[in-house]
Amino acid sequence: MTTPSPVFATIPVLSHEQLTSDVWRLTVDTPAAGAPGQFYLVRAWGHDPLLSRPLSIHDVGPGMVSFLYQVRGKGTELLTHLAPGDTLTVTGPLGHGFRTEDLHGNVAIVTGGIGIAPALYLVRSLPGCHVTIVAGFRHEVYGLSEFRLLGTDVLVATEDGCQGAEGLCTDIFDPTAFDTVLACGPTPMMARVADLCARAGVPCQVSLEAHMACGVGACLVCPCATVLGNKRVCADGPVFDAAEVIWHA
Amino acid sequence: MLETTLCGITLKNPVIAASGTFGFGAEYGQLFDVGRLGGICTKGLTLHPREGNLGLRVWETPAGMMNSVGLQNPGIPGFLERELPRMRTLGTVVIANVGGGDLEEYVEGVRLLSNAEGVDIVELNISCPNVHEGGMAFGINSDVAAGVVAAVRRVCSKPLMVKLSPNAEDIVAMAIACEQAGADAVSLVNSFKALAVDIHTRKPVFDNVTAGLSGPCIKPIALRMVWEVAHAVHIPVVGIGGITTWEDALEFIMAGATAVQVGTATFVKPTTMLDIVDGLDRYCATEHLTSLATVRHIL
Repeated sequence: MTTPSPVFATIPVLSHEQLTSDVWRLTVDTPAAGAPGQFYLVRAWGHDPLLSRPLSIHDVGPGMVSFLYQVRGKGTELLTHLAPGDTLTVTGPLGHGFRTEDLHGNVAIVTGGIGIAPALYLVRSLPGCHVTIVAGFRHEVYGLSEFRLLGTDVLVATEDGCQGAEGLCTDIFDPTAFDTVLACGPTPMMARVADLCARAGVPCQVSLEAHMACGVGACLVCPCATVLGNKRVCADGPVFDAAEVIWHA
Repeated sequence: MLETTLCGITLKNPVIAASGTFGFGAEYGQLFDVGRLGGICTKGLTLHPREGNLGLRVWETPAGMMNSVGLQNPGIPGFLERELPRMRTLGTVVIANVGGGDLEEYVEGVRLLSNAEGVDIVELNISCPNVHEGGMAFGINSDVAAGVVAAVRRVCSKPLMVKLSPNAEDIVAMAIACEQAGADAVSLVNSFKALAVDIHTRKPVFDNVTAGLSGPCIKPIALRMVWEVAHAVHIPVVGIGGITTWEDALEFIMAGATAVQVGTATFVKPTTMLDIVDGLDRYCATEHLTSLATVRHIL
């Protein structure tokens, strides 16, 4: 997957839809797309909050990139006010995404909550693989409709049992059926997925989330403890080999 | 118009990337031409590699941010081997920022940097608020600071700039003590020791309890400190603290700064420093100034 150089640009919003009570899909006009698992720093405000917000690439198309995001705090709440034609400032694409070149056979994409965001572009980038999505949500289910058109198997778990199996995505995930596992979600979930894969001897890549400032590897506020020492989630990741990450229980 | 001399070193303009916010230059080099900057201060270096602090390292405040990185760095030998060769190709002045856990570490670190081809200025960090032993411990009391400055001065043949902490007992006395101990310049201020509490866990946000506050919110205090110090010492003063616009930079220059460093604002907008350079350039043209010297230290 070729990775374009990152750009810093102010670009227009093409569309913005609310999918659930707190999940939105934002599509913007950008000259640079990126690879699955890469992210952009975005902002649409002055100095409060001070920092930009890292959003992973949800999907790309000709001249556009979309983000699926959940309202978590002040920054993401401010993003919800954007309307088509408004502008936002982006830096990206940044970081190292999923390594998809050598993948083959059965691939599982295990996601928790808004960790579903990078899965769509990821599936589109794995045309030679049979992909199964194992997606967990707390209550509301979102971001899955496109997968039916792509012929991707989708397994769903919800914590309250309102859709799919009752429980966590890791409760319905069996790594032994897969050649490779790709995961994105809350840290405890990914630690569990990494552990299951390690026991089954299945290679696993995880996309980590962190509070970031610079996004380019300069400030060192987003460390990830690895067997090779601290790495930077923004620049060395956000996608890492699960086996190299030291998971703090 | 913007060319500036700092400790005998010529900067193409007075805008320098602040330590800890700009890596070793190449990280931001993917977004803009960092060769247009007056200089780049490296991430704070120590003699031996450090992994930095555990736990959360960044927290936002209105118009500011707190950090607790804790001097994560590859060690000075690692820097000289892996980072300096690339930094020298960026086309700007290299300022090596050096911290230490004890006096011996400071002296040995400065000795290595002083002997390194390609390091233009050594910035002595006695002001990091995020490491328990050393760092800021040397930057609180003027006598302690004078001791470390005098010790590294003996092994430093390069221009020596001392970066001061706003947490010093008396920043004016601190600056005078550093000047008397042999500093060629002082840069100020580093981040302010600050606290954030997570009301849900009822604990401090940071494992280290306190962290360093930076960003636009500290600018007026930093400016006041630069103004006070500039009136008290005869060596150049480099102004740091929340500078975000060319007008901010000009305020520091009018208050007595020879040059300025920009840090947190780069996170808000990667090309902030280029905007500041361009803004100062336009200001000089509009005001018919041949250099910033006309307006420097006029307060």
